[in-house]
Amino acid sequence: MDILFLLVPFSVVLVLVILGGLWWAVDRGQFEDVDREGERILNND
Amino acid sequence: MDAVLSLPPSAALPDDGVALDDPAEWPAFGHALDGGRWESQVVVEGMHCAACAFTVEAALCAVPGVLRADVNAASRRARVLWSADAVRPSRWFAASAAAGYRLVPAGDLQARVRRAREGRAALWRWLVAGFCMMQVMMYAYPAYIAQPGEMTADAVQLMRWASWVLTLPVVLFSCGPFFRSAWRDLQQRRIGMDLPVALGMAIVFVVSTAGTFDPEGPLGHEVYFDSLTMFVFFLLTGRWLETRLRGRTAGALEALMNRVPDSIERLSADGSFQRVAVRRLAVGDVIRVRPGEAFPADGLLIDGHTTADEALLTGESRPVPRGRGERVLAGSHNLSAVVQLRIESVGQGTRFAQIVALMESASTGKPRLARLADRVAKPFLLGVLAAAALAAVLWWPAGPGQALMVAVAVLIVTCPCALSLATPAAMLASAGALARGGVLVHDLQALEALATVDTVVFDKTGTLTRDTPRLDRVYCREGLRPGDAVELAAALGAQSLHPVARALVRAWEQEHRTPPDWLALDLREQAGQGLEGHLQRRGSNAMPLHVRLGSAAHCGVEALPIDAPQLHLSDGHGWVASFVLAEELRADAAAAVAALKAQGIAVQLLSGDRTAAAREVAARVGIAQVQGDCTPEDKLRTLQHLQAEGRRVAMVGDGLNDGPVLAAAHASFALGNAVPLAQARADFIVMGSALSAVPEAIAQARRTLKIVRQNLAWAAGYNALCVPLALAGWLPAWLAGIGMAASSLLVVLNAARLARAAGAAA
Repeated sequence: MDILFLLVPFSVVLVLVILGGLWWAVDRGQFEDVDREGERILNND
Repeated sequence: MDAVLSLPPSAALPDDGVALDDPAEWPAFGHALDGGRWESQVVVEGMHCAACAFTVEAALCAVPGVLRADVNAASRRARVLWSADAVRPSRWFAASAAAGYRLVPAGDLQARVRRAREGRAALWRWLVAGFCMMQVMMYAYPAYIAQPGEMTADAVQLMRWASWVLTLPVVLFSCGPFFRSAWRDLQQRRIGMDLPVALGMAIVFVVSTAGTFDPEGPLGHEVYFDSLTMFVFFLLTGRWLETRLRGRTAGALEALMNRVPDSIERLSADGSFQRVAVRRLAVGDVIRVRPGEAFPADGLLIDGHTTADEALLTGESRPVPRGRGERVLAGSHNLSAVVQLRIESVGQGTRFAQIVALMESASTGKPRLARLADRVAKPFLLGVLAAAALAAVLWWPAGPGQALMVAVAVLIVTCPCALSLATPAAMLASAGALARGGVLVHDLQALEALATVDTVVFDKTGTLTRDTPRLDRVYCREGLRPGDAVELAAALGAQSLHPVARALVRAWEQEHRTPPDWLALDLREQAGQGLEGHLQRRGSNAMPLHVRLGSAAHCGVEALPIDAPQLHLSDGHGWVASFVLAEELRADAAAAVAALKAQGIAVQLLSGDRTAAAREVAARVGIAQVQGDCTPEDKLRTLQHLQAEGRRVAMVGDGLNDGPVLAAAHASFALGNAVPLAQARADFIVMGSALSAVPEAIAQARRTLKIVRQNLAWAAGYNALCVPLALAGWLPAWLAGIGMAASSLLVVLNAARLARAAGAAA
């Protein structure tokens, strides 16, 4: 059970790291227009 | 490609007041009215609800020199009427910013950029809330399933600590907008729609924090981190979807506005094409438009043959072929080939700009039902706060922690947003759908009136029949060829908007590629009578010919003894020619009348034309009640008579000659492309030539009113049901969060059906 005292704080840190990754993605505008990427293959140029 | 991209420094408005106060920048986001007054369109930032709209209005109206401010919560746009003598725009921009809402000039690049940034921040808040919520659930789970004594006190405390750490970013970051807007409202001593929610969030967080760090304290040892993160997540989900949907339903406007490109290739003096900003174009410039690009200005094709997509401008969904010498419209798309055109009008002068101006004014107007919802919003919010306080007091004996949680449920579950969004969301969605089908809504209020219409009165000329009659026969003076007579008449008629004059111009254009070889000088038009002016052959120095074109009386000649519309041409020596015209019925006139009858609507025809001609047309389209020989006064009297009988009347006319009649009807349609949009005084403007747009618009209006009623009933019913449930303590906070988010979402989704229904029908 003692391992919990390591794992639970670790999971908190992990969540914060993942949030950092998401922030990076949102900040670079990857979710701005989700339709556009799907339509891109229909474009010739 | 050696094209140079050059944007003028003024392409985007700088934010500082100096540029705002430069009169040269004002037309970029508004237009001048008489008497030094200006009407400006601005985008309001940070606005969520009807209560916000009220605040901005009040702040703007408090500035001396601002005559009127209309703020629309659903489109987040404001229309401000101000006097240039008394105030500068920077003053009222500052006043609104002081109230907590920044203004951005509409029709401006910056507004779009800033909206994208706002959207990104909202998405990011939502992601943080969602992610932290999932993890907090994990930490909460053991406490729910563990039997008493199974978890050590240390483990329980560890989980609470972890939950608290992950709830912090949710409260501090994700809930930011709720707290900020509630705080702003408190500072201004008013109640906004975010206040109850923010209060609820703060209470839950305080109770749970106390439970974590001071389990023996007065607020009890229970924690609600899972409920808190969950309802924040639901609220943000609701708001995020709502913003997207609202953006889409009100988006016909945006779709129109974004049609004109930013830059285009212009022919320069040395014969090469250079890419310049569209704002630099002037009348007479020659530009090259590639397939896939939109035309930036109205103009005449001088080289190339293509097809154009004018769907948003005329409602004609099929691509139309356009060859040399034909007109193209700004905002339509060039589909198939590279073409060159000479610009005839730019910027505000284009038909496209007129359409946008119309749509803007419609989307900032506030329908009656929406104003009603605004009025009840404030007492409603006060009632919610009172109910929450009452709940806390009633439940206090059960323990302060539980009492506060019941109060929180009351605060969160009420949904004033659904009430205030119910009407404008539906009407804007409908206006957008109608615009895509080729009908512009001048005034949202008119949708309500149109839904209740039971009688439709048609005008004949230009309405049931085509705008322009067809030239049937020509009689002319000996020694003159009929073609020459038509050329003379077309040269004069080109200067007039009258349908009969246009018929002559069209007759000429059908035979010839070039304009008539005559120049019209000092032309005068006598409304309803005819034209008078001088004609001179191009490049010749001969004495100009004095001519008159119009009715027999106007020209001082004898009318032909036949029963048909006719037009005469005379000069200094008397009669020159007579033109006999024939009227053409619109192709879908009979079908439209039948569709109206199928909707249970009585159809009548009022015409200024001779009774016999009116009867004949009526018989062909299937209208039984006809009245001919009407002066505009007669029409007005007939209309008022119908209204006195208790009928709800919609009038369909050409929008130019029957202005007073259109204005007096409950709802009015103006038809035909001949009319400059800005002059059309009608609630609805049919951009194409399809008469079937009238029954379709009525069906759409009926659907709209039905949806508005559903929305209002839902909003009222939901609140009436949920507040007592929350008071009774049957609604936990997380369920309340789902309820509120789902309620406002349902209203917007229901409204969005209107956009889809019309799309499927068109």
